[in-house]
Amino acid sequence: MAARGSCPGCGSAALVEDAHYAQQQLVCAACGCVLAEGLLTTTYTEEEHLREVAYSQSTGQKEQLSRCLQRGIRRVQDLCKVLQLPMVFEETAVSYFQRALQHPCFHLVSLEKKELLGGCCVFVTCRQHNWPLTMGTICSLLYAKQELFASVYLSLQKELGLSVPALSLGDLVKTHLNSFRLFQHTADVPATFVEDKEKMVARTMQIVELASETWLVTGRHPVPIVTAAAFLSWQSLQPAARLTCTFARFCKLAGVDLPPPAHLRLKELLEILLRMASQLAWLRVFNMDKKTVVKHIGDLLQHRIFLLKNAFCLEDGEEQRATAPGEGSASSPPAAGGAAQEEGCPSEGKRQREDGRRPLLPPCLINPRKRLRTAALSASDSAITGDEPISDSEIEQYLRGPEEIRAFRKAKAWS
Amino acid sequence: MDGASPLERYLERCGGQDDLSASPQLFTPMSPYDVDLPIQTTEDVLFGSQFNQPKELPTDFSSVDLSFLPDITQDNKEQNLSEDGHEMQKEPDGSTSRNEDSSTLMDESGLSYPDATQPSPEASGACPPLTPMTPMTPVTPASESSGIVPQLQNIVSTVNLACKLDLKNIALHARNAEYNPKRFAAVIMRIREPRTTALIFSSGKMVCTGAKSEEQSRLAARKYARVVQKLGFPAKFLDFKIQNMVGSCDVRFPIRLEGLVLTHQQFSSYEPELFPGLIYRMVKPRIVLLIFVSGKVVLTGAKERSEIYEAFENIYPILKGFKKAS
Repeated sequence: MAARGSCPGCGSAALVEDAHYAQQQLVCAACGCVLAEGLLTTTYTEEEHLREVAYSQSTGQKEQLSRCLQRGIRRVQDLCKVLQLPMVFEETAVSYFQRALQHPCFHLVSLEKKELLGGCCVFVTCRQHNWPLTMGTICSLLYAKQELFASVYLSLQKELGLSVPALSLGDLVKTHLNSFRLFQHTADVPATFVEDKEKMVARTMQIVELASETWLVTGRHPVPIVTAAAFLSWQSLQPAARLTCTFARFCKLAGVDLPPPAHLRLKELLEILLRMASQLAWLRVFNMDKKTVVKHIGDLLQHRIFLLKNAFCLEDGEEQRATAPGEGSASSPPAAGGAAQEEGCPSEGKRQREDGRRPLLPPCLINPRKRLRTAALSASDSAITGDEPISDSEIEQYLRGPEEIRAFRKAKAWS
Repeated sequence: MDGASPLERYLERCGGQDDLSASPQLFTPMSPYDVDLPIQTTEDVLFGSQFNQPKELPTDFSSVDLSFLPDITQDNKEQNLSEDGHEMQKEPDGSTSRNEDSSTLMDESGLSYPDATQPSPEASGACPPLTPMTPMTPVTPASESSGIVPQLQNIVSTVNLACKLDLKNIALHARNAEYNPKRFAAVIMRIREPRTTALIFSSGKMVCTGAKSEEQSRLAARKYARVVQKLGFPAKFLDFKIQNMVGSCDVRFPIRLEGLVLTHQQFSSYEPELFPGLIYRMVKPRIVLLIFVSGKVVLTGAKERSEIYEAFENIYPILKGFKKAS
């Protein structure tokens, strides 16, 4: 196309816009002098407008994403910022979210579910990097119902085929204790209640490990266990001042929720500790109960491997009781005596508590709930072929007689 | 079932038979009793009759993923992989990892086939890849199999009565029916023997649940159809099909679910925050198992009884391996 102006070289007015290897050049038709070379224009409308356009707009990045996706991505990014996650997590979560939304089963769900989907992606990312984030935290951040979150999470895991490693308890302990407000002196916390964070974290970890070894953790929600363990470790670090403080009060002071199962976990932990205490020579003389055993948690944890071996027998009765010098059978609780115990141990589950050694089993096996079991198919049942003749009388028992129908019709207004 | 592969037809015929005992016969379809191999005595007599039609049996058993069996070694696995088996491609890494676990399990549980690894390299050239399995499986004494039989708890089946039904009429004339159209668009009918519940839809389709065996489910469905017939509808009994079977059993030892999810990550989902049990999605057979810390196992998703038994036989060595390792 012809352009205005004159060539500085020859003065001719025949200026032509031409492309040299796709670079625009203003060239004189007469002498071939190049007046102007390719301007790198960023306009995407006609050149006359000559407006600067942002990179994201000219490359059409934003246009490719639907508004729903944009909003979702922003939500995921906000969540990551609130949880103070590293940048890598944010990128991973956003990519999962984009992949998930492309799936037909997530494409048309309600907005509520789409927001939960963003939370699930963040959750999955954290778990894959072993960042201890619990579902409870995410649900509270999203104001979501846990059942809905669970269903979205499970379908996300299935659709994208993600492998999510298990929650590591150790990291959870550290993160959960971070939220406790007992490590600094504040106005409402008595001076004796303040505790050193490192010591408390270390001892809580040990108690949680003990719980996991004694089957208290498998299948249970992890947070109540950590809360109960934190309470025990806190009490044991200064028993004199803290034994009078109840669990509920402790949680209130620490600024942490007291989940309902935590009381049961506490009870189970104390029971385990009491059993271990019964094997420690210098504690046998004391009459241990739930309160006093707390004072000796430090010792119990120190010797826990030995004590566990002695306090509990394995189900198959292979463990031989190591008779340490300080622990004669004489002072063992009644019905003991090495031989009786060794032969008694293989019978699992129903041992009396008094014999001092019970099998190391999950609580659901120690206290089985009496449940009505439907009997197995009897012989007559299994002889059914499925093609037996059906008698008319049997069927007629299920049909209403005419008077009954009349009465029924009168009673119920069939609209 | 014309579309089914020979493999699927065969497995259905096996129905209830242990996978381990079935394999020797597969290898030599012409001579079920291979003199070279020590065979299980009792079960073979029963199986012998089944294997007199060897033409249908596929000689190519590379498509069968047998790596879940605790005795198979890495060599065997690779041979199986080299053959192009359509079912193997599904989760090669899954089976490999199970295989590796199985190898370690073999060491730990001290199984009595120390010579298991030797036959495999030699046998590879001469025979189909199934051969490495055969020396081991007949050696399996009956006590090695779990000895626990899962009990069926629920069968869900569907049948087509092939006529339009007036649900209000049915609810009025039948004693054992309840119908609340605002809540659910079907009549819920119950009979006492066998103790089952049926959902009857106006299209004529019916779902029958609660039976404890396939035959009971069929009998119950027929009784419901008879009730509908007596109410005056021209009900037929078409396309009776078992849709789902649920079984349960108890392995009688506690299971470390955290460890199981670590070693079988591709198949397991263990979220204690959501559900106390571990959800194990077995690939072959396609069954979902709910495994609990108490040792109770629930198996669901089966269309055939044999799938439940097979799934349990597959999972039992894995669970047992866990018991000893901990």
